[in-house]
Amino acid sequence: MTRYVMVMDQRSCIGCQSCSVACRTWNDLPMDIIYNPVVSEGVKGEWPNVHVNYTPLICMHCEKEPCTRCCPTGASKKDKDGTVWVDHKKCMGCKACVQACPYGARDSSEMAPRFERYAQKCTFCRDRREMTPGAKPYCVDTCHQKARIFGDLDDPESDVAKIIGSVQTFRLMEDYGTEPQIYYIPALGGQR
Amino acid sequence: MNKHYWTWPIVIDLFLGGLGGGILAIAMAYEFLYPGLGPAFAMPVLIAVASLGLACFFLVFELGQPKVFLRVFVKATAIIKWGAVLLSLALIAGFVYFLSCLPWDIFAFLVPLQKPALIVAGISGLLVMLYTGIFLASLKPHAFWNSPALPVLFAVSALLTGAAVAAATLGMWPVTMSTLLQALNPGVDAGLVAQEAANTQVFFQGKLQTLCMALIAVEAFVLLLYVFLLRGSGNEVARTVAARWLTGKTAPAFWLGLVVCGLLLPLGLYYRFGEVAAAAVAATVLVLAGGCLLRFLVVYADDRRLVPGEKRFFDRLPHHDAAFLTAWDDKESPY
Repeated sequence: MTRYVMVMDQRSCIGCQSCSVACRTWNDLPMDIIYNPVVSEGVKGEWPNVHVNYTPLICMHCEKEPCTRCCPTGASKKDKDGTVWVDHKKCMGCKACVQACPYGARDSSEMAPRFERYAQKCTFCRDRREMTPGAKPYCVDTCHQKARIFGDLDDPESDVAKIIGSVQTFRLMEDYGTEPQIYYIPALGGQR
Repeated sequence: MNKHYWTWPIVIDLFLGGLGGGILAIAMAYEFLYPGLGPAFAMPVLIAVASLGLACFFLVFELGQPKVFLRVFVKATAIIKWGAVLLSLALIAGFVYFLSCLPWDIFAFLVPLQKPALIVAGISGLLVMLYTGIFLASLKPHAFWNSPALPVLFAVSALLTGAAVAAATLGMWPVTMSTLLQALNPGVDAGLVAQEAANTQVFFQGKLQTLCMALIAVEAFVLLLYVFLLRGSGNEVARTVAARWLTGKTAPAFWLGLVVCGLLLPLGLYYRFGEVAAAAVAATVLVLAGGCLLRFLVVYADDRRLVPGEKRFFDRLPHHDAAFLTAWDDKESPY
């Protein structure tokens, strides 16, 4: 079976926000929504021993996703390949899923017309993958640092399976028990 | 990002849902404790029905796409679905009960349904009361909500507001206490019945006011325990919100608004001046305002644990009303 995951290589990410801009362009996002911000706590340490860590955020496409379970309309769905997405025609905009997501990965635009607001989120570029089988999410294709790696975790020959099987990775806020499917290679301490 | 996704319509919705559910639960309890007294709660039940109707309106009004609101009933795993079912059930059963109490022949066919309707309305009202708290408590990312004590706090508050409204409106049109006693004791002199009705009215209003006082004490205990325990909890987000309530930005609303005006003042009014009509009305208004303020404070305590750096990122972004965001709305971009 296919299980799509993404690996974020914090060793390579330079916080250029190219992925954010690419995502905004592909998904034609309103100004008040960002699916994949690249956040940082800023410069740490003292000169000359300084470093900056960047954490690219995105929907975690959790294995035990709380967002689809709390959706009363059935608009929030999960594909067999693990992609979590919203059928916006069925979404009534109650924002229960937005509140249920521990990662703040869902949003509803306040700039949309008052009665046309629905939950929006990253879908691993589901439309793009449907149009061109084998295509990767736009943020992955755009990342010139190759800090985003996308693939099928159940395929032992995939890059993601090899990386997750061999390099130290971590997932964000695992204590919520949602089993997020975004893996991070830590900037400091991750073997290259 | 930590913006408030749920705002005042949800506050009103939770408050009115709790109020309506509380009144229906109390009406059912009194019918069981004092068989035959139920119809005296016709006016409180009408208020409950109106509250639940308004709650439904605000629930739909808050939606981003109200045109698909009927899909709320689609998925069984969603708590909102069960809330909507219970709200509808309480609304319909409460309305049937009210109609059955009307002294008009056109609704005489509903009289046999009176007691079943009150039981259905009372039980679903009880569950609606709990639902308002369970709904928020089920959302794990919000540490201040995610506590099993929140449904208890909301249920006690809902019962309190319900009891206060019931105490103020018991025995009003369409079933006054004298109408009720006359129906229960046919053949008894009307003068005697009127005198007895006045005594009965005072007796039951006193009972309900005593219940209000007990509920105020319980709510104050649960509320303070809730906030102080979270203030000392190991969860940083919950601790921050509790500190904001106790000593921070929302402390005046919490201490002065909720604790003093919403709980202590009505307690004093019920205790000292319960038999004075104006004081009883003032106490009811204060209890209702306190109930609404409690929901307001809780709904806006929606802080979520952030990923390190997330706050810094979003703080640096322009706010939604920044001039350049709306500069070319409906116009061609000048750039």
